Amino acid sequence: MNEVDPTGDSHRVLFGNAGLSPTRRDILKSSAFALLPLATALPNHASPNQQPMTANGGTDPYPIPWLDRFGSHNQAAGIGNEPGHIYHFKGRVVRCNNFTGMGTDNKGNRIAFGAPSTDYGIMQGEYWAARTTQHGAFVHI
Amino acid sequence: MAPANEVHDFHPPISHCGLFWTVPVPQGGLSFSSDGNSFTLVMRSVALIDQPGFPKLDALGTPATMSFKLVGKSTGEPVKYEDAPKHFRFTGTRAACQLEAQVEVPSIGFSWKSDPLSTSKCAFAIMGEEVNGRYYDS
Repeated sequence: MNEVDPTGDSHRVLFGNAGLSPTRRDILKSSAFALLPLATALPNHASPNQQPMTANGGTDPYPIPWLDRFGSHNQAAGIGNEPGHIYHFKGRVVRCNNFTGMGTDNKGNRIAFGAPSTDYGIMQGEYWAARTTQHGAFVHI
Repeated sequence: MAPANEVHDFHPPISHCGLFWTVPVPQGGLSFSSDGNSFTLVMRSVALIDQPGFPKLDALGTPATMSFKLVGKSTGEPVKYEDAPKHFRFTGTRAACQLEAQVEVPSIGFSWKSDPLSTSKCAFAIMGEEVNGRYYDS
């Protein structure tokens, strides 16, 4: 920090070497002390790139807690399987998979789409996040 | 599991919180009929990745976009799934769904458009109401 004394005595005050120009040693000593306020302040002042955090967590939905065989929070579509991908949820859901069809690429090639794992899931309703109820619609693609 | 001849695999990235390939639906993108027995989902230019190597952990993901229309209708056949240890209950019906889509992968100059909606088929679909987690016992 630079502070300017309007009397012009700023060097004497800052470096404690009355009437004389500051020595290199004085400058080094002063510089070291000048860093102290900054050093003690750092723990209390987050990096400018760090986003402020809410005390109750974010409003994004929670994933289903258990894992599939690939270590992902993914529920395969199928008889008896949970249809949603959001935990702490109540509302409408749609679950569908094993789509098949045809299409054409930008070079005119006919390319089929679909596999047993080609799935979609729709969730519309209420979910719990940030310690309160939230509402929204989501799609698993 | 993806077939051996798969050349593209489009899905959203897994979110920071672990939500799997799931994105918000913009306002007006999803509509149900008044009786709740049919629905239409339309989304434009959804940001995805093309990741044909999934589930390999080092599978390359290339930025892509997809626009699609997904429609479905209840068949009326009742379905109920419940798993108390996992705290979920689904009550609904089987359904029939169809899909049309258009994808673009700009970095490789690739685009693809499906045939019309009516030409697609879906082998499994259900629709209804679900409760899970903290709502399961309420």
